[in-house]
Amino acid sequence: MPERTAEQDTIITLEDLRPRPEEKKIFSDYFMPRLHPGILFDPKKCTGCGTCEMICSVRNVSQIAPASSSIEVLRDEETGKNFAILCQHCRKPLCIEACPTRAIEKGEDGIVRINTLFCVACGLCTMACPEAAPLIDPLTGEINKCDLCEGDPLCVQYCPTDALTFTKGKRVRWIKGLRWSVQTISFLLLAVLLVGTFCSLKAGALSLSCPTGVLQNIASSGTVVLVWILSASLILGLTVLAGRFFCGWICPFGFFLDLVDKITPKKIGLPSFLKSRMAKYGILAGAVGGSCAFGFQAFCPICPIGSICRSYGAAGTLNGANMGIVAALAGLEVTERRVWCRYFCPVGAILALCAKIGLIKIAIGANQCKKFSCIQCAEVCPMGIIDADQLREGVSPDIPMTECITCMRCIDRCPYGAAKIRFRWQKTVPGNIEV
Amino acid sequence: MANGKDRLAEAKSSSGAYRCVECGRCAAVCPMAEMYTNFSIAMSPRGVIKKAVTGDDIILDENIWYCTECNAGTDICPQGVSCRDLIRALRDIAAQETAAEALRYCTRCGKQFLPVPVKNFVFDRLKEEPPNVLSILELCPSCRRELYMLRNT
Repeated sequence: MPERTAEQDTIITLEDLRPRPEEKKIFSDYFMPRLHPGILFDPKKCTGCGTCEMICSVRNVSQIAPASSSIEVLRDEETGKNFAILCQHCRKPLCIEACPTRAIEKGEDGIVRINTLFCVACGLCTMACPEAAPLIDPLTGEINKCDLCEGDPLCVQYCPTDALTFTKGKRVRWIKGLRWSVQTISFLLLAVLLVGTFCSLKAGALSLSCPTGVLQNIASSGTVVLVWILSASLILGLTVLAGRFFCGWICPFGFFLDLVDKITPKKIGLPSFLKSRMAKYGILAGAVGGSCAFGFQAFCPICPIGSICRSYGAAGTLNGANMGIVAALAGLEVTERRVWCRYFCPVGAILALCAKIGLIKIAIGANQCKKFSCIQCAEVCPMGIIDADQLREGVSPDIPMTECITCMRCIDRCPYGAAKIRFRWQKTVPGNIEV
Repeated sequence: MANGKDRLAEAKSSSGAYRCVECGRCAAVCPMAEMYTNFSIAMSPRGVIKKAVTGDDIILDENIWYCTECNAGTDICPQGVSCRDLIRALRDIAAQETAAEALRYCTRCGKQFLPVPVKNFVFDRLKEEPPNVLSILELCPSCRRELYMLRNT
């Protein structure tokens, strides 16, 4: 018989009385992300009039008393800038974790509410919120936190300059379907129907070849053939126009890795000495230098893209060693997504150099981005270039286009329409101000 | 400026501590029971009030630093004792006289905003968050709002 301790006899915790509700997964959660309603705020339109505070306090305490509102307008007198602090209704709210009486709940509709039955106004939710959005009412001592007026916020209705807008979140589904179908078609074309296609393809007057392969050819043979340059420059030119779209939409090995990612859990961390995004440029230089030294294409025999194109196809030659490379690199996916593409791929490296001078960028607009409360773009990014830490600090992230594969997952997933494709010279994100 | 003893007497009378009948309702609703595993009668509002009324060394007692200054005990007290006001006043006196290290200071503006035990409780609940979130939580609420504004305008 186990020994009974004093704790077991006497201490009844909140877990026994009111256990934390388990996360219910409904059927649609498996293929569609849940939407999170919220209020978007545009600091450029705000004039700091305080109408939102007044109308909010009318709802809270039935009188005009801006101190009792759930929204606070900050006015910076030096710069003349105004900003509204309001609850973002986070996807994973920190206030729920910190509340000692478990009074805060996130409803099925995504609205985070304070249950006044249990709230004792201790103010720990304010202490746990990165934005300190639950406001302590100095008159009544209670906590005022936005509940979106149950779906029709008064502050949005009464804002005279439309700086506040209510959104229920939106879904852009077609990009996902388009990308998967393009990837499937190009995989079938490149890897199954036509053998060795991506490496070099001639169809009448049209000639295509892999830019890294061309570089190695030039290095190994010591001659420059104009046709090689032209056939490689098509994909390089398109990369300047549209970013590394090849990696995200066409590359058969990238498609293979995307499929592997669907089923591999991310359990193990990649050792940090491998985590250098410059490594792919080193491999590219090594491939060219090796070709020069040995007199044949040094990297192509072990190239996973080439392997997947050549080894399996209509010719029916399953080259064991080459498929071993593919399997080994697929095994690396237990650490991070698209490890080969992120850190090592020399084809990606040469495309990255083109994308560096490219015309487009992915911009995450600061006005619509809800930062720490959402962070979905960072979760879906296969290259891991959207900085979740920046989002958590309340800044819209910068996206390096050399690493971006233009897969548009972030655009697809962003519920507030903040992620967009823009030309390089367009300014949609105000500069991040160091403090 | 009044000395510590006068201020202590003032705090006790203005919060109504002498009216306490030790019914224990404040201890029953106190959220500290849920927050701390070492919750005891001395830490509960009833214990603090009793010690404040009967003894003089309440200022040195570390038990006054666990309270979250919530409304619960004040709301339910049948005698109208405000344990929150009492503890606030006790902390004021203590912070000026002895126990400055029991308070957490904002890393940006230097304002005191949380006692250390309460801060430890919040950080313990959020210990799975990444370090940059926790460093934001080291700031006082008004600094957090201000920084958030500066980053986004």
